[in-house]
Amino acid sequence: MKRILIIDDEASITRSVKLNLEALGTYEVHQENHPRDAVHTACEVRPDLILLDVMMPDTDGGEVAARLQEIPALKDTPIIFLTAIVSNAETQGREASIGGHDFLAKPVDLAALTEAIESHLNP
Amino acid sequence: MAMVLVVAVVDYLTGVEISVSLLYLVPVCWCGWSAGRRAGLLVAAASAAGWLAAVLLESGPTEQPWVLVWNTLTLGIIFALVAALLATLQSTQANLEAIVVTRTAKLGREVAERRWAEAQLRQAHAELQSTQMQLIEAAKMEAVGRLAAGVAHEVKNPLMTLGMGAEYFLRRPPANADEATLLQDMKDAVHRATTIINLLLDFSKPRPLQLAPEDLNASVENALGLVRIQLLKQHIEVQRQLQPDLPRLPLDRTRVEHVLVNLFTNAAQAMPSGGTLTVRSELQQAADASVGPAVILQIDDTGPGIPHEHLPKVFEPFYTTKPPGQGTGLGLAIVHRILQIHGASITLRNRPGGGARATLTFNPQPTPLS
Repeated sequence: MKRILIIDDEASITRSVKLNLEALGTYEVHQENHPRDAVHTACEVRPDLILLDVMMPDTDGGEVAARLQEIPALKDTPIIFLTAIVSNAETQGREASIGGHDFLAKPVDLAALTEAIESHLNP
Repeated sequence: MAMVLVVAVVDYLTGVEISVSLLYLVPVCWCGWSAGRRAGLLVAAASAAGWLAAVLLESGPTEQPWVLVWNTLTLGIIFALVAALLATLQSTQANLEAIVVTRTAKLGREVAERRWAEAQLRQAHAELQSTQMQLIEAAKMEAVGRLAAGVAHEVKNPLMTLGMGAEYFLRRPPANADEATLLQDMKDAVHRATTIINLLLDFSKPRPLQLAPEDLNASVENALGLVRIQLLKQHIEVQRQLQPDLPRLPLDRTRVEHVLVNLFTNAAQAMPSGGTLTVRSELQQAADASVGPAVILQIDDTGPGIPHEHLPKVFEPFYTTKPPGQGTGLGLAIVHRILQIHGASITLRNRPGGGARATLTFNPQPTPLS
């Protein structure tokens, strides 16, 4: 079973995503609501994929991603950014600017989310 | 001079009479007034000489020649004064007339200049008003943009929670049909709210254009293809009057087609029981040669037209005449915005014969806004 870590400061979002993905029966989902603890949790969980919010208090998603990639064991872990500040249309082509990671605009529906996850885990 | 001679003869024939002597004033006055000062003085001297000749002929040599000389001189001086006075009066009058003519002409020029200045002032005032409106519009758009970006973040997170929640329950077998309907309604509501938020974000912060030389007529055909089913369903006939040799325009094709689909859809919605959609394109020379030709695209419908009071507001964001929940009020605002960043423009008017007309003006060498 593939492990997914979702990092978002809003617990309602991590909870709803976790419940939905786990209901599919193919993922083990861990959640982290404190961006400062994200690296620590990621080292413990060793996820196959990370869902990462962009706008968070104290530390933003870009900073968290940079720190995660400093860890050798997590260097190649794919990250899907989730953002609320852009529209769907704006996310097209933005992955290039953030190192090839996916970029999804909130609110993401389950179909779009699983499609993005699967494109990384089972390409 | 002939007049002086005649008067002198009369004077001689009638005897030296004061009343007859006054007749000398006739040529003096006439000449002084009409022939100028010099001729007047000459005639005055001639008159005095004529008078002297008449006296000498009539009464012969006098014993008091100095009296006669004195009288002649006095008369001559009086005649000269009269002639000079009349000549001066005449010259003054002529001068006055010339001054009046000059002043009238000057006044005419001043009136014309004033009128020109007033026209310039009116034009400047109109330009100022138009600039002021544009500034207000720009400020409004900026405010909408800031508001949109701020609201988007605050609203999209809760929307995601709601959407994910609805999806979670939708995957489980519902307790009854009502529960399933309610959950689907929730999911649809989240989808609708998301669409509006995304439209608002795109409107307030448009993505950079992907410009390429494009055939506007081809975009018209593509957009008509996208609304074909709706037009068929509503029995709307499409008339194409497309000029075949239009210059290619620097366009972001996807977004211009979005604009056209929006305008065709609006036209179709104005004709629920059928009608005619006329799409006309042509290259039009501008009145001002320095501006260059423009490509004009007109979209006419045969619907009821747009109520007069709505016309000034149709491009404002969130302005809609559709029932709540059926229109975002952003369709035409986005159309306007997309054309604006292409350096193109749009006007919406009612046609005299009925129906509405959207006129899009593209400049083949525009300077798109960044």
